[in-house]
Amino acid sequence: MKRAGIVAWNTFREAVRDRVLYNLVFFALLMIAAALLVGQISIGIEEIVIVTLGLSAISLIGILMAVFIGVGLVSKEMEKRTLYALLAKPVRRWEFLLGKFAGLFLTLAVNTAAMAAGLAGAMWLVQGSLKAEDAAVLVAVYFILLKLAIVVSLALLFSCFTTPLLSTLFTAGLYVAGVFAPEIRAIGKVTGNAALDAVAMVFSYLLPNFDNFNVIAAAAHRRAIPGMLVAQNTLYAAVYCAIALAGATMIFSRRNLK
Amino acid sequence: MNSRKTMALLLLAVIPAGFAAVWCMQRGIDGQLAEMHQEQDELVLRSGKTLRLLSLEYGAFLADVYWTRTVQYYGDRHARKVANLDTLGPLLDVTTTLDPQLLPAYRFGAIFLAEKAPQGAGRPDLAVELIQKGIRNNPDFWRFYYDLGFIYYWELKDYKKASEAFLEGSKNPKALIWMKVLAAKIAAEGRSRETSRILWREIYESTQDKLIRENALRNLKLLRAEEDCDYLDTLVGRYEKSAHRRPERIEELVSAGILPGVPVDPEGFPYVIGADGKTHVHPKSPLLGYPKGPPPPR
Repeated sequence: MKRAGIVAWNTFREAVRDRVLYNLVFFALLMIAAALLVGQISIGIEEIVIVTLGLSAISLIGILMAVFIGVGLVSKEMEKRTLYALLAKPVRRWEFLLGKFAGLFLTLAVNTAAMAAGLAGAMWLVQGSLKAEDAAVLVAVYFILLKLAIVVSLALLFSCFTTPLLSTLFTAGLYVAGVFAPEIRAIGKVTGNAALDAVAMVFSYLLPNFDNFNVIAAAAHRRAIPGMLVAQNTLYAAVYCAIALAGATMIFSRRNLK
Repeated sequence: MNSRKTMALLLLAVIPAGFAAVWCMQRGIDGQLAEMHQEQDELVLRSGKTLRLLSLEYGAFLADVYWTRTVQYYGDRHARKVANLDTLGPLLDVTTTLDPQLLPAYRFGAIFLAEKAPQGAGRPDLAVELIQKGIRNNPDFWRFYYDLGFIYYWELKDYKKASEAFLEGSKNPKALIWMKVLAAKIAAEGRSRETSRILWREIYESTQDKLIRENALRNLKLLRAEEDCDYLDTLVGRYEKSAHRRPERIEELVSAGILPGVPVDPEGFPYVIGADGKTHVHPKSPLLGYPKGPPPPR
């Protein structure tokens, strides 16, 4: 486990060295501009739009980082030939994967926390203070982080057996499909076809259901998010990540690295 | 050395000159486009449900964008006194489908839809549908019943439905007590100036938005002007009795000593006597929706 931790820490340092956290500057500017501008061009939604814009930006930037950095985690090491030295250390292949996952997740967590702090600042600027009901926004940020964990695990899975381009396409495609999971489940009912209903049902449950984590609207309107949902989503994300990482380990352990 | 001179030339002369040329060309293009100004307010995707699917998880943010677009659309048309607001209804439908809890879209949207042209779209029927959609999606928000009652009362003059709406809203434990009072008053009296004044004052005091407050204030002034016209009609009747003919201008009442001077409406425009023999607000008064300008010389 210690070896996985070392791999994780180095993955994080590499991401920071790649200036990947510079997007925070863009995010901060976006929040300030929105806070100043929205009140001038719209009616009645200053407090709402700061939250929807902020959470949407956190989610989108996080997804882009998770996909584009995640698909290169294994392939970059192979290209630079550093993977062989690492595995000869010895670092077991599953430790390597776990470390990569944890390192990128740590990067995303730091990024998300920094953007959440920026969002809190923008909310304070617009509202004049932060209220207890604004805790819903924190829960929304946590859910975004859980979603990013699943995306990272999927990106890592695909990067174990295919090229970065295809990994990107597969991961992005699975993300989009996961967002539509409830609609896929409803297809069978809409068409009235029993066989299609069964297939759609199974498929929708196998897909990672990213709609579970979408509470941006609820947070924007300061509606309380049930504690039970928080616990269920945490468990769902943990289990799904475990499945994806287990699959990645199986594939990677059998892969001929020559 | 040559390359440094080239770099300096590019940086100090060519690039700034290029941007200056682009600036001038753009102003020319803007002038051309303004002359052939076409209404480009097509709403390509009118289905809120389709947009909600296409927006992935970002429906709430897209709703804010569409609401801002709606406000800008209405504001632009209002400023240019363009009566055609056909895209307003579909824009509001898309906005409220993307985010069914976006309360300002229902409330302000209903005002924009219900008001007669040139203030609004003149579609109180669509305003009622929008508020009813708001009630379905936000059953706990009692103010929608206020808005519904207001539209039935002010625009549709359906006092029975107005009273029913206020009564339904008053059943919410969070509703203010005057909802019940209004329900009873409208049921008993139908339209009355006092009730109208209460309704418009509530709108004025319940929002910080400049456009909505200005509209509410205009309507409160219009109510005051209606009262003035009723009073002036009694004076016109007095003149008719004494002079045995109808006055054609307000000045005749001043000459007869019935009035000390020509009375003006709350915007400073003098009242006029119409062809029907009754007193009316001046046709150019801002109270009737015209741009604010100096009152005519008396």
